[in-house]
Amino acid sequence: MTTRAEFFARIRTEMRKTSGLFAARAAERPRDASRLVETVRRELAERWPQTIERFRVEFERVGGVFHRVTHVAAVPGLVAAIARERSLRTVVAWHPTALGTDLGGPLAREGLDVRAMPWGPVEDAERQGFRTIVANADLGLTGADLAVAETGSIVLRSGPGRPRSTSLLPACHVAVFDRTRLVESLAQVGVFLEAWHEGPSAFGANVSIITGPSRTADIELTLTRGVHGPKEVHAVFVDEEIGG
Amino acid sequence: MREMATSFRDRAGHALRDGFLQEALTIATTKFKELRREAFEDFPEGEALRDRAREIKEATLQRLDHHLERLVESVERVGGHAHYATTSEEARRIILDIARRTGARMAVKSKSMATEEIHLNEALAEAGVTPVETDLGEYIIQLAHERPSHIIAPAIHKTKGQVAELFARELRRQVAADPEALTRIARDELREKFLRADLGITGANFAVAETGTVVLVTNEGNGRMVTSLPRVHVAVMGLEKVVPSLTDLMVFLAILAKSATGQKLSVYTTLIQGPRRAGELEGPEEFHLVLLDNGRIGQLAGPLRESLYCLRCGACLNVCPVYRQIGGHAYGHTYPGPIGILLTAMQHGIGSVKDLAHASSLCGACADACPVRIDIPKMLIELRREIDERRIAPWPERLVFALFARVVGSHVLYRLAVPIARLLQRPLVRRGTIRRLPLGFGAWTRTRDLPPVASRTFRERWRELERE
Repeated sequence: MTTRAEFFARIRTEMRKTSGLFAARAAERPRDASRLVETVRRELAERWPQTIERFRVEFERVGGVFHRVTHVAAVPGLVAAIARERSLRTVVAWHPTALGTDLGGPLAREGLDVRAMPWGPVEDAERQGFRTIVANADLGLTGADLAVAETGSIVLRSGPGRPRSTSLLPACHVAVFDRTRLVESLAQVGVFLEAWHEGPSAFGANVSIITGPSRTADIELTLTRGVHGPKEVHAVFVDEEIGG
Repeated sequence: MREMATSFRDRAGHALRDGFLQEALTIATTKFKELRREAFEDFPEGEALRDRAREIKEATLQRLDHHLERLVESVERVGGHAHYATTSEEARRIILDIARRTGARMAVKSKSMATEEIHLNEALAEAGVTPVETDLGEYIIQLAHERPSHIIAPAIHKTKGQVAELFARELRRQVAADPEALTRIARDELREKFLRADLGITGANFAVAETGTVVLVTNEGNGRMVTSLPRVHVAVMGLEKVVPSLTDLMVFLAILAKSATGQKLSVYTTLIQGPRRAGELEGPEEFHLVLLDNGRIGQLAGPLRESLYCLRCGACLNVCPVYRQIGGHAYGHTYPGPIGILLTAMQHGIGSVKDLAHASSLCGACADACPVRIDIPKMLIELRREIDERRIAPWPERLVFALFARVVGSHVLYRLAVPIARLLQRPLVRRGTIRRLPLGFGAWTRTRDLPPVASRTFRERWRELERE
């Protein structure tokens, strides 16, 4: 079997034979991404009304359903309405700490069967139990780490209280967020990704950039939704700052 | 499923006579082509980004050892393992070892051309590990025991009727030939597999050296499932997929989906950094990255180096007049289309492309469509030159061209040859063209007519005009 040393020795031997096709440089990384993120946030803070409008347009263009409410208190009623319209009953949600607010109680009062994802470490035996719960749930409720206006995308980091399956297994995914999550462009997403990498990681091993509901056109190029991932993605934008 | 015993000519002829394939290819490639064009029309920064992307690819190759070492360090730092495969066979062995050691009995796979390249599925099955393709198109062709016919849409050659029949036969599920219903069946069947599988196998669209992040670009959600639910995740990656940083990555993400399907981004762009962290409910316990050579290292200083920039977007397939007529299977190798010819030569040597190197009119549409501006025609010509140098082409062909080169290269021989040709061609010219050459030369006129030698050459005409 090829060892690491052998592999790299061969690469270096070949590399020595050529200087390449033309002068080229890789991208310049931001020197202090965390500081740059703060600058980006400050600039965006003023433009958020235009940014959310742009997000709405792009989000709907990729098949997302956009909602907007003024106060956090309105969110449970809205989610319940979404669920009722589709005859959905069971909800799995990020842990309140991850969501920034506790929606479990209010949702239960709306008649929904809600399970919050656990925060702390979980025994292996329990892990399977949670998987079954999420696999059988009708609706997955998450926050959003970023909402990208350029592409209508929602960026989710995995981690304690915010497992990946919440936004993946249930057929309906609802993401709730406020203006502090908005960014305009993919380039800005890059700055955040660099900053997240720099910082201490209380988060998980996965970042997902989600742009609309699951889709395929593999059969005769006919577009169908909900192949493996959710059939519907909803964005609920809250004017007031959540947890603020 | 390995290389077929038939010739390229036979396979191409077969494809040309297949009415449904012709229609499917036209519809699909036209659609992708149009979507790509519209996406870039709305995207003024697109041209500058393509230049940047090309530059980053070249810059990465110029320090490939540095970036790959960084990648390995980063992967190990986040708790993953790196493996080195010089050949397809080694790659298969590495993966089978991991499967055996972890007691895997079923592996779910996200769409990966690299795993097609190393013929992984047969090896897994033989070793008692059931491979399950989860991308809908790949799932369909797996059930049909076929290979993908397009890099992005592997089952493009199948009608919905054929898919319904396939599901009825292989899954014993009766359903109408309706894409929605068929998709629902696939969703149910595969959901159960995702939840039960021991091993998840993917490729890697990119791998970020700075952070050890493997990036998957998908639309269905199977990429997320395969890398979150099973205990073990193995990513197989051509070593040229490495990019230096997350900032570089965003340049490629900005143009990849647009080039492939016209989308701004695919539905799921998944960034994976090693196995699950402490406190995570889900995610694999083990993460393995298999770095694949299989001919790539050999081209770092070779004529096909530029093909290492390839993002596997399929844009060149959709505009190629040859691919659009014959489809992927006729190429007879894992990677079809213009870039496929180069990749086949890279992986299997010059002999493997003695016919394929000529499966091009050198129109250049591919170079134009390529998001990283790979000069495919230039490399095709280089392949043809090498085929000639190594005397791989059939001897009659070489003889004819050698003679032609002599005659055309000497003006004495040329002026002698012209009146002789005029004489010899008389019985062959019908209504102003030569439809059929006799004897062995008939192959040249099977699909084209030749213009006859003119009754007077330009030189002769010029002399007359001067006299007048």
